[in-house]
This record gives sequence, structure tokens and C-alpha cells, in this order.
Amino acid sequence: MYIRVWSVLFCLFVFVGANEGEEQNLSIEALQNEIKELKQSIQHIESVQKEHESYMEDIESYTEDTETLVLEDKLKFGLGFKTNLDNFTKKYASGRVVRNNNIWSNKLMLNAKANITKSMKFYARFSMYKYWGSSYVHPYSSYDNMQARVPSDSSIYVERAYLDWFFNQEGLIPFALTLGRQPSADGPSHQFKDNTTRKATYSALLYDGTADGAVLTLNMSKLLNYKKTYLRFGYAKGFGYSETSKDVGNAYIGANNNDLKDTNIYGLFFDTVLPSIQSSLVQFSYSKMKDVIANPLDANSSANKNIGDVDMYGVMIEITDLDGSGLDLFAHYGYVHTAPNANTYLEYGGLLNSAGKSESKSGDAVWIGGRYGMGPKKEYKVGFEYNHGSKNWVSLTQGSFDVYNKLATRGNAYEAYFMYVINRYSNIRLGYVDINYDYTKSGWFVGESIAIDHTDNPDAELKHLSSIYLKLNVLF
Amino acid sequence: MLKLRLLLLLLVPVLLLADNINGGILAKKLHLSAGTKAIIQWERIFTSNRKKRKYKINTLTLDEQNSLKEYLIQHAIDSDHPMVAGE
Repeated sequence: MYIRVWSVLFCLFVFVGANEGEEQNLSIEALQNEIKELKQSIQHIESVQKEHESYMEDIESYTEDTETLVLEDKLKFGLGFKTNLDNFTKKYASGRVVRNNNIWSNKLMLNAKANITKSMKFYARFSMYKYWGSSYVHPYSSYDNMQARVPSDSSIYVERAYLDWFFNQEGLIPFALTLGRQPSADGPSHQFKDNTTRKATYSALLYDGTADGAVLTLNMSKLLNYKKTYLRFGYAKGFGYSETSKDVGNAYIGANNNDLKDTNIYGLFFDTVLPSIQSSLVQFSYSKMKDVIANPLDANSSANKNIGDVDMYGVMIEITDLDGSGLDLFAHYGYVHTAPNANTYLEYGGLLNSAGKSESKSGDAVWIGGRYGMGPKKEYKVGFEYNHGSKNWVSLTQGSFDVYNKLATRGNAYEAYFMYVINRYSNIRLGYVDINYDYTKSGWFVGESIAIDHTDNPDAELKHLSSIYLKLNVLF
Repeated sequence: MLKLRLLLLLLVPVLLLADNINGGILAKKLHLSAGTKAIIQWERIFTSNRKKRKYKINTLTLDEQNSLKEYLIQHAIDSDHPMVAGE
């Protein structure tokens, strides 16, 4: 009996043991298969990785090539292009009316910029401004402050070229030195009509034109804990005397004591913003013009003289896109006071005086306006401007934004326009300008201003000027 | 005197109305620097939900997003920059 039981147990043991061995063999085989599959996967991943590495190397190479090209572009260019159609109507004090319609002009502006280092930047604008079908060289185009500012021939002038050199950028009062042909034309608030941003440092009611000089800008924002606050000290040459007959060696190196003195301009400017309106600009300014020259275009004439000094004061406020409403507003005020000497220039007279007189004179002007944007993207804009200048108002706007130097008007000027913003970079503007001259010699430092109705030569004195214009403006 | 009144008349409504959403503050909050991208790149970000999530722009209201977009585009690297001495 025991033998039988043991035999059965033995058989069972052998059977089970054999079965377990078979299962173990099967598990090893499965594991081996899995390892094999894993190896294949790893091989596949490795091959894909190799492909990716090679792809990344290609991308790196392309990126480096692109970077090299970018770094090689030391000067970056932007484009400005304006096409203007003006239709002028001129009415003289005598009542004579002259119409000059269909006057077309183009202005090309090549804007250059170079980021030399983090603390040194360079900007320039090379411009051509001409009437269609005419390359007549306008005499004023050789006047330093009006180069590229009046339509002339197809020459390219350097309208601005300046270096911004920044110091103490992490300090309490960071400051910058700006040297060269300054950003002094098309200033606030002309940018609304161009549908662009602020394009010059100074209020355009007082200063508009090209100017060579040096400006020290102190950034007072950290010190005063108030954003966008700057104090500027400016120096510029309003006129620099040079004459070929006075050359020493190969170039002019200075005037004799009895020659004309240079016109030097010294200025102080304070910029800030209105409380809670970051998109605003408030500017207070004072500048002194020393030794104003009677005629910068007649430097070699013995009759030409320095005729005195002028003090200019200004204040302006400007708000862009008030509260996101699409409304832009601005107001400028300027005041001038003269200190003439006894010099006179030919029969034209002295500083705001007729020949033989040297009275001190004061004048002022105001310029206000606004623009409102409508439509889903504020692409339709309407604007209105008004400016008034008193009898003795005079300013440095000879190289003005417009051809008629509207802001120098001794009288009243109105302008209304409708603008359509075609795309981010271009717009078209239809407008009307109406200028009523109350006094003579608007924009002139030389000679006494008299009421336009009391002039001796009414047929030569412009009493009213109007223009219906259409302008296409591309700034890219 | 008339000129002074005109200036004051211009100022009063301006000061009363000023209280807009500041895109610059929103950009600072989300650590977005406008000058690091071009206009077209910022525009692309605002048309993609994935990119909006990436930059956490989706956490803002629609008005805030619009203000932020306007700010970023206005200050993009290829935007129309002011030209002012020493700024």
C-alpha cells in the first residue's frame, strides 16, 4: 500500500517538475524576445536620433548663417515716401488772385539706424524732395536749416545724422549725449498728420528744420520717481560762417574778427508726462539765439550783418489716443523777445525793425488741434488745427513740415483733414488749409512787420493763402 | 488770456477721462518684452490658442488681451519708434 502511494507521489512530482521546467523555458524565451524587440527599438531610436542630430546640425548651420547676415547688416534702413498734390489759391493785398493748381511733389526718405553697442546708437535720414517734372534747384535748399525741407532738385540731402551716446544707464541719473545733425524737424505735434510717432525732440511751433548741434539729455525719471521725465541742454549752430576766400590751406578754419559771427543757439528743455496719462508729452523750453544773421544765403556780402539776439520760450501739451478713445489732442504756446543791435541789412532793416530803428519787440503764437479715429480699427481719422501768430511772432520753423510755413503765420491759419489709414504703414489724407495773414513778413527775422492792409506794395503782399491737398504717405 | 483758456479747456476733459487699461503693465506682469519680437510674430501669437497658453495670455480678459496686443505691436522691434535726442 505504501509503495503504491509513494509511486503515485513520485509520478506527480516528476510530472509537475517537468511542467515547471517547461514554463521556465517559455518565460526565458519571452524575455529573450522582448530583449530582442527592445534592442530593435533602441537601434531604431538611435538611428532616428542620428537623423535628428544631423537635422539639428543643419538647422544650427542655417541659424548661424542667418545670424551672420543679421550681424553683418550694420546699418538698417527704413523707407519713407510721400506723394503730394496741392492746389493753391493766393490772394494778394491788392485783391489780385493767383491760382496754382495741380502741383505734384514727392519726398523720399531713407531712414537709417545702427545699434553700434548697447550704449551707442546712430540714426540718419537721407532725403530727396522735389516737384514733379522739375529739378530747379531752389535757392533755399542751400540754406543749411532747409536742406531736404523744401522741394528742390533730385539731390539727396542728409536731413539728420546723429549719434546717441548713453552713459550711467544703471545709475540714478542716466544721461546721453546726442551729436550731429539733430532730430529737429517734423516734431510734435506734426506726427498726427503723418499717422506716425514723435519724430523730433522739440515743439514744431518753435523749431522745425535741420540743425547741427549737441544735446545733453538727463533722464530724471529715477531721481524724481516719475516716468518719462527728461532735462535737456542743447547747443546748435543756426548759422556757421565760412567763405572760400578765407580758406587757409585746403579749408576754411575760422573767420577774422571783423567778419560775421556765427549764430549760436543755446537751449534748455524739460519733457515729462501728465499724471496717469503715459501717452502724453508736456514740454517747457527756453532758448537763446545769439547773433542772428540777417541773411544766411548772403554770407559773403559786406552788407550782411549780425542783427541781434532772440529769446524763445515755449510750452506744449500733447495726448495720444486719450483713454483708448482714438482722440489725440495738442496745444502749443510760444513767446519770443528780441534784443536788436543797431545793424541793418540793406534796405530791409534790422531785427524785426525797419532801417534806423532798434526797438526790442515781443511776439507770441498758439497752435491747437486734435484728431479723432473712427471705425473698427480707427482707420478713418478726422483732424483739425488752428494757429495764431501775433504781429512780431517769429520762430525757427524755416524748414517747416509744410511748404507754406503755416506755423510762422502772423495772423490766423486753419487746417482740416480726413485721413484713411490704408494699412499699418501707409495712409492717404485729403485736407484744406486756410491762412489769413494780418501782418507782413511772416517767418522773417529781418524788417518791421506792418498790417497787411497798410503795405506800400499791396500787389506783392500775400493776404490769403489756401490749398486743397491730397497726400499719400508711406512709412515702412 | 484767451490762449490760456483754450489750453485749460483742452486739459480738463483729458485729465477727467484718463483711466485706460495699460498694456505695458500687463506685459510686465506676464514677463513679455515687446522689443524681442517683430510685429508679425506678436500678431501670430495672438491668433494661436496654444501660443496664448504658452505665454499665459489666455488668463487675461478679452479687453486686456487687446490692450496687451496693441502695446506689444506698438513697441515691437520693427515698430515705428519715436526719434528723440537721447531717448
